[in-house]
Amino acid sequence: MSESTIKKTYTCIICPNGCDIEAEIKDGEILSITGHTCPKGEAYVHQELTAPTRTIAPSVLVTGGELPLASVRLTKPIPKDMIFPVMDEIKKLTITAPVCEGTVVLEKVCGLDSEVIITKNVKAK
Amino acid sequence: MEKKDVVIIGGGPAGLAAALELYNKGIHDIIILERENHLGGILRQCIHDGFGLSRFGKSLSGPEYAQAFINEIEKRHIPYMTNATVLELTNDKQIYAMTREGLKLYQAKAVVLVMGCRERSRGALGIPGERPSGVFTAGTAQAYMNLYNRMPAKEVVILGSGDIGMIMARRLTLEGAHVQAVFEIMPHPSGLPRNIIQCLEDYNIPLYLNHTVTDIHGGSRLTGVTISQVDEKLAPIPGTEKEYTCDTLILSVGLIPDNLLSTDAGVTLDPHTKGAYVDEHFQTNIPGVFAAGNVLHVHDLVDFVSLEAEALAHSAASYIHDGMLPPCNLAIKAGNGVGHTIPQKISGDMDFKLSLRVRSHYRDCRIVLRQNGEEIAVKKMKKAIPAEMIQFTVKSEKIQKHGELEVSVE
Amino acid sequence: MKEAYDVIVIGAGVVGSAIARELSRYQLKTAVLEKNLDVCNETSGRNSAVVHGGFAYDEGTLKARFCVAGNQMMEQLSKELDFPFIRCGKVLVGNTDEDMKQLERTMAQGAKNGATGLELIDGEKLHQLVPAVVGKFAMWSKTSGILDPFLFTVGLAENAHANGVSFFFDHEVTGISREAAGEESSDFHYILHTPHGDFKTRWVVNAAGLGCKVISDMLGITGYRVVGSKGNYIILKKQLGALLPMPVYPVPSNTYMGIHVTPTVDGNVTVGPDADLVDNFSYYGVPQENMDALAESASNLWPHIHKEDQIRNFSGILPKWVDEHGVIQDFKIEVKDDIAPRAVNLVGIESPGLTGAVPIAQYAVALIKEREELKENLDFNPIRKGITRFASCTREQQASLIAENPDYSDIICQCEEITRAEILAAIHNPLGVSTMTGIKYRTRAMMGGCQAGFCQMKIEQLMEQELGKSETEICYSRKGSWLLSGKLREEPST
Repeated sequence: MSESTIKKTYTCIICPNGCDIEAEIKDGEILSITGHTCPKGEAYVHQELTAPTRTIAPSVLVTGGELPLASVRLTKPIPKDMIFPVMDEIKKLTITAPVCEGTVVLEKVCGLDSEVIITKNVKAK
Repeated sequence: MEKKDVVIIGGGPAGLAAALELYNKGIHDIIILERENHLGGILRQCIHDGFGLSRFGKSLSGPEYAQAFINEIEKRHIPYMTNATVLELTNDKQIYAMTREGLKLYQAKAVVLVMGCRERSRGALGIPGERPSGVFTAGTAQAYMNLYNRMPAKEVVILGSGDIGMIMARRLTLEGAHVQAVFEIMPHPSGLPRNIIQCLEDYNIPLYLNHTVTDIHGGSRLTGVTISQVDEKLAPIPGTEKEYTCDTLILSVGLIPDNLLSTDAGVTLDPHTKGAYVDEHFQTNIPGVFAAGNVLHVHDLVDFVSLEAEALAHSAASYIHDGMLPPCNLAIKAGNGVGHTIPQKISGDMDFKLSLRVRSHYRDCRIVLRQNGEEIAVKKMKKAIPAEMIQFTVKSEKIQKHGELEVSVE
Repeated sequence: MKEAYDVIVIGAGVVGSAIARELSRYQLKTAVLEKNLDVCNETSGRNSAVVHGGFAYDEGTLKARFCVAGNQMMEQLSKELDFPFIRCGKVLVGNTDEDMKQLERTMAQGAKNGATGLELIDGEKLHQLVPAVVGKFAMWSKTSGILDPFLFTVGLAENAHANGVSFFFDHEVTGISREAAGEESSDFHYILHTPHGDFKTRWVVNAAGLGCKVISDMLGITGYRVVGSKGNYIILKKQLGALLPMPVYPVPSNTYMGIHVTPTVDGNVTVGPDADLVDNFSYYGVPQENMDALAESASNLWPHIHKEDQIRNFSGILPKWVDEHGVIQDFKIEVKDDIAPRAVNLVGIESPGLTGAVPIAQYAVALIKEREELKENLDFNPIRKGITRFASCTREQQASLIAENPDYSDIICQCEEITRAEILAAIHNPLGVSTMTGIKYRTRAMMGGCQAGFCQMKIEQLMEQELGKSETEICYSRKGSWLLSGKLREEPST
């Protein structure tokens, strides 16, 4: 192993198994990966090394509904450093009841390839 | 008095899955009694995603996971009643329920206990100190935020590294509160590794193991907490006290199966799980009374709750058809390194799924089920942690007619 | 300046509330000023809730006299004011010869004090009464009992209010001055200063409990030495009450009852109190070492104290008037005509102040009556009706409650089976109290195993809706105990 090779351990967040994956990395390139139990783990480590992504699942305000909020999530992960800008956009949203799960309330949030969709049915009051 | 084949107490993930599976097995004379305004149970407030990976092969939020089942319930017109609180369950399977239509009395052939669990409170922990406002369990804070649009906190300290606690650390941070740290009394985290990464590390929230709250300050609203390190016996080490100024303490210190109704009916509980003693049919000591999901033992994943409730439904359907189930006389004991097992009793005549949790962290270990010294089943694990429920199927072939079984970490 | 009153009572603990009720039997314009947001927030609500027999006090003292009198009238009070009281008896358990001698002395003292129903019993009888108790013999006090101290106080205060007394919460008396009653007259009124304005009154009653010395000094009656005796308690879950039919005490001294185990009227068990001398009268923190010591000590009397059954802890502080040697004195209830005319001064009202509250109040009002003719209030009605508890009703009664009021069919607190109807009645209580603990103590909501985990959000929402308050205005208990910091998402203003 040359001096510039580093060993790094990742805890995979793709599923609840949370595999501990060990990667040998040299100059930003992955030399080897061990410890993953599925291909998603390997993809996760590549993603973490190059451009880590995450999802968030907050709520938006509902007017005229039996509940004050409807929960939402992102259809695709977004770059980690975009979490707070995306959150700010979601906080600005107001929707009117009734709302149905699966409805897209914001397309291409912050210009990213991800949509904000409703995850909870809220009937009108 | 109304007669029913099966009364299902609770409309959360376990109750919904049990009802659907019973229906699909031809048992249609059933009713789900749900105390809240909506079906779905605790999933309604668990708006984060990560549910359903094993069941649906994709990552859903809690409400979506619940809705997938509710849609199926609605499609089949399976009867349910919301705002229906069961006041009493008797040992002959009569159920008093308070409903919008007034007090109702049911006589059931079988009862399915799927009431879920509740959180351990400050009092149950016996944390010393004053009693200000601002001390919330994680689930209560979650309900305020996700169901009621109310913010309970500004400056936050979290005690306990349970999954809900970590998820609330992220949730509070996203909504503008400042989470200073998470403290865990044990030497290992009690929640899943992925949540340490995506709920704490991503937001620069430190997790301190071997630490606990040893004093609570504030005569009105919380003004701060004292944190101490603990020794290997979990006793606070004098001289390690550190003060944290905060207005909110969130507790994520464990879940307890909610068995008030069960014990009143005479259901025997296992002191380790705080849920019922059940056999491989998920039947309690009262014939025809079944339990599954978090009221039986606290699960880590809702997908497993659904599966367990479906297995229960399978047995309950047989019970309705035959009026009884094969006896289970072989006990399973939790041995070295194992906290508890489900079931606690088996017949020895059929394959069954064994669920358990280990007591501490193990690497490259074998989980072994033995009877009379013989290995009955083995599961090899690269990593076994208390945060994760371990399940594997045990074949009946090797099981002998006599002799207690014991499962241990080797 | 607010309107002028005939009498102002300072303090809405059990004694202040009882005095207010006794005053409402007369044609007097009476008010009660309370610094907290509710009645019964200090000593009155932080104790063992035992109705004492009257045997543990020196002969001839006011403590002995009021305790015996209060004990005797408790059934009637419970009926008039609709609060839970159970005359369950209690046992003082001993093991040694010395214990036996002390119990014999206590018996003799009790007889002199007029306490009835005292009997020395052997181990066999003791274990018939309390099967799980640890001990060889006991003194059995058949007239002792337990009550709900909060509902007792609420009952007194609500009844006083119904008979014309005004209650002002969040009104701490910060100073007392005097103002001439007229230009020619040498007579004067008292002016009571509070952060919300001044109150004028002819008579003042100091029923400030832990604040008795502060108010006494303001009145000009100086020189009292009052120390705090802080007692810590742990509460065990409801199922354990079934194992404890009556309070179990160790052998007492005349100044300290000892750590005991007591069933509550709702079936919980309290363990305590210890007794730490304190000079901070507002710090109610319960230290770890005290909790451990309580469990250990009381386990010598009763073996069912386990950590997993503890649902809560609390503490209370007794104001004890002591002499220069630190010796605890009797109750002091006085009018110093020379120093502070028309001021009834109550100092050192500690245990048995709960048992003796009404006799204490009668004595205090008699001091006024000796000095001034009081006209009877012919409209006085001693009856107060509490909130009907759904969970205590039979199934038939429950059905008719629901038929009468559909809100009884909506259970808000699952653990204690408290309905929306009860919560609404508590929110609209006659005294106008609007804290979460105000609801809790009036209904028992949030007192069960989940300790408000499932129901507090619903109760908070009902309080917002019913009282027209915003979420940031809802207090948990004391002033400043905000519950919520705001909304996640604000509705756009229209």
